[in-house]
Amino acid sequence: MLLEMDSITKSYGLVRANQNVNFNLRKGEVHALIGENGAGKTTLMRILYGMESPTSGQIKIDGKPVTFHDPTDAIKHKIGMVHQHFMLFPAFSIAENIVIGGEPKKGIVFDRKQAIEQTIALSEQYGMPVDPKKKVADCSLGMQQRVEILKVLYQGAETIILDEPTGVLTPLEVKELLASIKALTAKGKSFIIISHKLSEIMEVSDRITVLRDGVVTGTVNASETNEEQLSRMMVGRELIKLERSEAKIGKPVLELNDVTIVGNKTKPLLEDVQFNVHEGEIVGVAGISGNGQSELLQAISGLMPIDRGTIALQEKNITGASVKMIRESGLAHIPEDRYLWGVSKEATVSDNGIMGHLSRTSKRGMLDGKAIRTLVSGWVERFGIKTGSLHTKAQYLSGGNLQKLIVAREIAQQTPFLIAAEPTRGVDVGAMEIIHGELLKRRDEGAAILLVSSELTEIMKLSDRILVMYEGKVVGELDAATATEEQISLLMAGGKAVGQA
Amino acid sequence: MDQLFDVSLFAAALRMVAPILLAALGGAICARVGLFNVGLEGLILIGAFSAILGNYLTGSIAVAILFAMGFSLLFSLLLAYMSINLQANVIIVGIALNFLAAGLTTFALRAIFNVKGAYYDKDMKGLPKLDIPVLKDIPWLGDVLSGQSILVYAAIVIVIVLQFYLFRTVSGFRLLAAGENPVASRSLGLNVKKIQYAAVLISGALCGLAGAQLSLGNVTMFTEGMTNGRGFIALVATMLGQSNPIGVAGASMLFGFMEALSYRLQNFSVPSNITAMLPFVVTIIAMIFFKSSGYKNEAKKSSGSSR
Amino acid sequence: MDKLKSTLQSLVQPLLAVLVGLLVGAIAILIVGGDILETYREMWKGAFGSFYFLTNTLARATPIILVGLGVALAFRAGFFNMGSEGQMVLGALSAALTALYIPGPGWVKIIAAFAAAVVVAGLWSALAGWLDSKFGMNLLITTLLLNYIATLFAGYMVAYPFKDRSGSAALSQTEMIDASVMLPKLFQGMTVHVGFIIAIVATLALHFFINSTTKGYEIRMLGGNPLFASYGGVSRGKLMVMSMFISGAFAGLAGVSEVLGTQYRFLDGSLTSANYAWSGIMATLLANSNPIGTAIASLLLAALQTGGMGVERNTDVPLEISSIIQAVLILFISAKFTISFIKRKKAGAKDGSAV
Repeated sequence: MLLEMDSITKSYGLVRANQNVNFNLRKGEVHALIGENGAGKTTLMRILYGMESPTSGQIKIDGKPVTFHDPTDAIKHKIGMVHQHFMLFPAFSIAENIVIGGEPKKGIVFDRKQAIEQTIALSEQYGMPVDPKKKVADCSLGMQQRVEILKVLYQGAETIILDEPTGVLTPLEVKELLASIKALTAKGKSFIIISHKLSEIMEVSDRITVLRDGVVTGTVNASETNEEQLSRMMVGRELIKLERSEAKIGKPVLELNDVTIVGNKTKPLLEDVQFNVHEGEIVGVAGISGNGQSELLQAISGLMPIDRGTIALQEKNITGASVKMIRESGLAHIPEDRYLWGVSKEATVSDNGIMGHLSRTSKRGMLDGKAIRTLVSGWVERFGIKTGSLHTKAQYLSGGNLQKLIVAREIAQQTPFLIAAEPTRGVDVGAMEIIHGELLKRRDEGAAILLVSSELTEIMKLSDRILVMYEGKVVGELDAATATEEQISLLMAGGKAVGQA
Repeated sequence: MDQLFDVSLFAAALRMVAPILLAALGGAICARVGLFNVGLEGLILIGAFSAILGNYLTGSIAVAILFAMGFSLLFSLLLAYMSINLQANVIIVGIALNFLAAGLTTFALRAIFNVKGAYYDKDMKGLPKLDIPVLKDIPWLGDVLSGQSILVYAAIVIVIVLQFYLFRTVSGFRLLAAGENPVASRSLGLNVKKIQYAAVLISGALCGLAGAQLSLGNVTMFTEGMTNGRGFIALVATMLGQSNPIGVAGASMLFGFMEALSYRLQNFSVPSNITAMLPFVVTIIAMIFFKSSGYKNEAKKSSGSSR
Repeated sequence: MDKLKSTLQSLVQPLLAVLVGLLVGAIAILIVGGDILETYREMWKGAFGSFYFLTNTLARATPIILVGLGVALAFRAGFFNMGSEGQMVLGALSAALTALYIPGPGWVKIIAAFAAAVVVAGLWSALAGWLDSKFGMNLLITTLLLNYIATLFAGYMVAYPFKDRSGSAALSQTEMIDASVMLPKLFQGMTVHVGFIIAIVATLALHFFINSTTKGYEIRMLGGNPLFASYGGVSRGKLMVMSMFISGAFAGLAGVSEVLGTQYRFLDGSLTSANYAWSGIMATLLANSNPIGTAIASLLLAALQTGGMGVERNTDVPLEISSIIQAVLILFISAKFTISFIKRKKAGAKDGSAV
C-alpha cells in the first residue's frame, strides 16, 4: 500500500468533520473520494496534505507512520495537491508558478532562464504543453489547471490529490484532463480525486470511497458499482421528487436587448445578449463559470453599467438606473456569493433580513422594531433557519442557514421578477430541497425567475427554458423538456447548437 | 527666477528627499506583503528621537544611528506582532502606533532631557557630510550630489539594493509571492508570517534611518511631532511608486523637491503658512493620478467566502 | 436580559484597558522616580478633586466628545476619517470670523456662527468623501493631508488678513468676539459652558440616528459590507459624501463651541496643541464607534489630561504621563479588536467551514 489513513478523526469544537475515516491508495491507482457538500472530503485531504492536523488517527506512507506539520512535509513525502480554487500567482509567469518553492538559482539570484528551460522539459516529458513566459492571469482555467499539475510534478509528487478538478472546465478540457490522468497513471503516478460528479468519476477511477457526514459509507470498485448505488451511499435516503406543474407563461417581465459590456479585456464581457423572461417561467442560464454570467446578473440588477443595449423590467426601461430604482421596479436577487454580496457578517440576522424591506419595516425614516421582528421571525419559522436569536450575528450561522435567510428575504419581496444565482451552492441536501421547492412555488404564483447555476443538474431540474452562455454571448436557447445534457455541454464548450428551440 | 531654482535648492531637495524616501521604501516593502503601514509616521518619530538620544548619551554618530534603527525596529515589532500574530486591523494598529510614538517621545523628552517641545544642544554633532571625490568636481551636479549626509547616499544605495532584491533574488521572489497570494504561498509551505515579519522589521529599520536623517541630518535637534506628516507623504509616495523601489524614489523626489521649494519660497516674502502647504497640496493632486484598488476589491478581499 | 448582558460584556474590555494603561503609567512614574500612589492621587484630584476641577474636566471633554461622535459616524460607515483636526480648525475659524463680522444682535450672530462652522467643516470633510467616491483617492490619506492644509490656511488667515492688531502681543489671532455672542457658562466662575449640554444632546441624537433610523441602518450596512449595501440598493457615493459631511459637521461643532464658549477668539494653534481632535479619534477607537461609549471615553480621556495637569502642578512627574497612559489604552484597544476577531474565527470554524 502506497499510502494509508487509519481511523482519522477531525473535530472543530463540537462538529466532527471526519470520524474514524479509513482511506488508502495503491501505486498507479486512481481512487475517488465522493460525497455531498460538507461531507468532509476536503478536510480529509487537507489533513493528508499537512494543512490540518487530525484530532486522532494515523497516516502511513509505504507502511511507515508519518506526521505532517505543514504542506512541506507532505511535499517531501511526494504528495502534491491541486486545490479546487487554484493556488496560483496571477501576476507571475507560468514558469515562475511552476518552480516556486524550488527555484533554480545562481547564488542568491533567481535563475529565470533555467526555470523556463526546466518548465519546457517537464511539459514535454508529460505531454502537457504550456507557454512558460505567459502570465497566468492571461491563461484559461484549463491551462491554469495544467500549470497546477505541472507544478505538483515539478515538486516531485508521486501521489497527486485533485480537489473538484472539473468544476470550472469545459467538457473538452475535462476530456483532456481525464486523458492526462490516465497517461500519468501509466507512468506510475497515483491519484486521489475529490468530486461529486459521478459520471466522470465512473470513467476515470479504479476505486471509489463515499463519505457522508464525515463517515465512510463504503469503498467500492468502480467496475462493480453504478451511479444509482453511489448516490444512495452519498445521500443516505431517497430524495423527494419535485412536484412540477405545467408552466403558465404570461407576458414578458424582463427584456434584454443587445446588452453589451466592453470591459478592458480583448473580448467583451457581455456581447449582444438578448432574451426575455416571462411571467410564470424559470429561465435557466447554463455555462462554465466565468463566461459572463456574473456580469449579466450585475448588469440586470444595476451593479455594473452596460455600454450598449437596453434592459426593461415590467415594461419600464431600467437601463442605467440605480440598484434602488431597479429593485423598486420589481426585482429581487439571490446573489451568487452569499458572503460577498448577500450579507454583512458583522450585522445581526434581523439587520440582514430587512435589507430591501425598509419601506415595510420603517415609518417616516424610523425603523419599526415590531414590524421587523414579525417579518424576520416569520421566515425563521417557515424556512427552519437555525439561529440563536434574531440578534445573532450572521457570521455565526452555518452556510446553509444563511442561504435560507437570504432566499427567504428575497422571495418575501414578492416581486414579479427574481434572480436566483447559485441558490444552493454549498448547502446541504435538506436546505437544497427547501430552496428548490420555494423557487418552483414562486414560479407557480406567476413570478418570472432567472436561474443561474454552474450545476447542470440544478438547471435541468428547475428550468422551463435554458439559455447557454459562452464567452459573454448567449450561444443557445433550448426547451428544457427536450434538451439533453450532451446538447448543453456541447454549447457550454462553444460548440455549435444542434436542434435549437 | 534664477535665484529660486539655484544649485542649493536642488541640494536641499536631495536632503529633504532622504527621510521621505527611506520611509517610503519601508512602506513599499510592507505593501508588497499586503500590509498597509500607516504607522510610518510614528516609526520615523521614534527614530528621530532615538537618534538624538543615542547621540546625547554617547556622542557617537554611529551609535545614534544604531539607536534610531534599534528603537524603530522594536516598535515595528509591536506592529508586526499585533497585525500578523493577533490579526488586528493593521490600519488601526498603525494609528495606535502613531499615538504611542507621539506620547512616548513627548514623555521621554520631559523625563530624559527635562525640556518641553524641543531639545537642542549647540555642541551636538550632526551626521557627517561626505564629499565624493571626482563627483564633487563636476560643475553643478557636483554641488548638488556631493557634500550630503551619509544617510542620503545610503538611501540611494538602498533603492538599488531593494530593487535588485525584490526582482532578482529568490528570497525577493518569495516575498512578492507572499504578498501576491498568501494562501497559495502557505499551501507551498512558504512561511508567510515570517516573510511579513521580515518586511515589517525592514520597514522599521528604514524608518529609523529616516528619523535619524530628520533629526541629525536636516537639523540637529528634536522637536515634538517633528515628522510633521512626512510619514503620510511617504505613504503616498509608496502608492504613487506602485511599491517599486525606483518608482517610489521618483515619487519621493517630487515631494522632497516640493518641501525644499517651500522653504526656499519663504525667502521670496511669501508667507510661510502658504509655502508650507505646497508639499501637501502637491501630494493630494498627485493622488488623483493614482487610483487605489477601489472599495469593491477591498471588500471582496475581506468579505468574500474564505474558501 | 440579552441586552444587559452584552452591555456589561462590552464594558469589560475598556475597563481592562484602563487598568493596563494605569499599570504601564505606574512603570513610567517609577522610571522618572515618582511616587505611584501620590501621582495617581494628584491625578484624581486634578480631574475630579473639587467642583472646579470636575467642571474643568467637563469643559475639556466637550470638544473631544463632539469630534469623537463625528469620527464614530464615519467609522460606522466604514470610512477612516482622520481629518477632524482640520475640520475643527476651519469650523472654529469660520465661527470666529462670522461672530466678528456678521451684523445683528447676539443671538443672530450665535446662530450664524454655528451654521458657518457646521457648513464649512462639513464641506471640508465632504470634500475628502467626494474625492474618494469620484477619483478613488484613499480617504484615510487625503483626510490626513487636508489637516495640514487646513491648519496652515487658518494660521495664515489670522496671521495676515484677520490678525488682531489692537494688542501689543505678536500672537496670530483674531480680535475678541463681542460679549453678546459668548456662550453662557453653566455655573458662575466655572469653565464648563453650554457646549457641554450640546455635546450630550448630540450624543443621544447620534445614538438614536445610528440605531433607529433607516439612514443609520444604511450607514451601518455600508460600513459592514459595502458590496452587500450596494446590492441592497444603498448608494455608496451619496451616502459617503453625506456621512462625511455630518462627520465633519460634528468637528465643526467642536470648533464653534470652543470659540464661543471658551476662547472667545480664534487663536492659531490653540486647538491643535490641545490635541482635541486626536483625543476624539482615540475616544472613538476606545468605544468601538459606539456614540454613548464615545462620550464616556471622551470624559475619561479629558479626565486623564486635566489630571495630568494636576500631577504636573503638584509632583515632579511630568504631565506627559497622561499621553503614555492614553497611548497604551489605544494600543490595548487595537488588541481588543483582535480578541473579538479570534473569537469570530473560532466560531467560523465551528460552522464546519470544511467545504
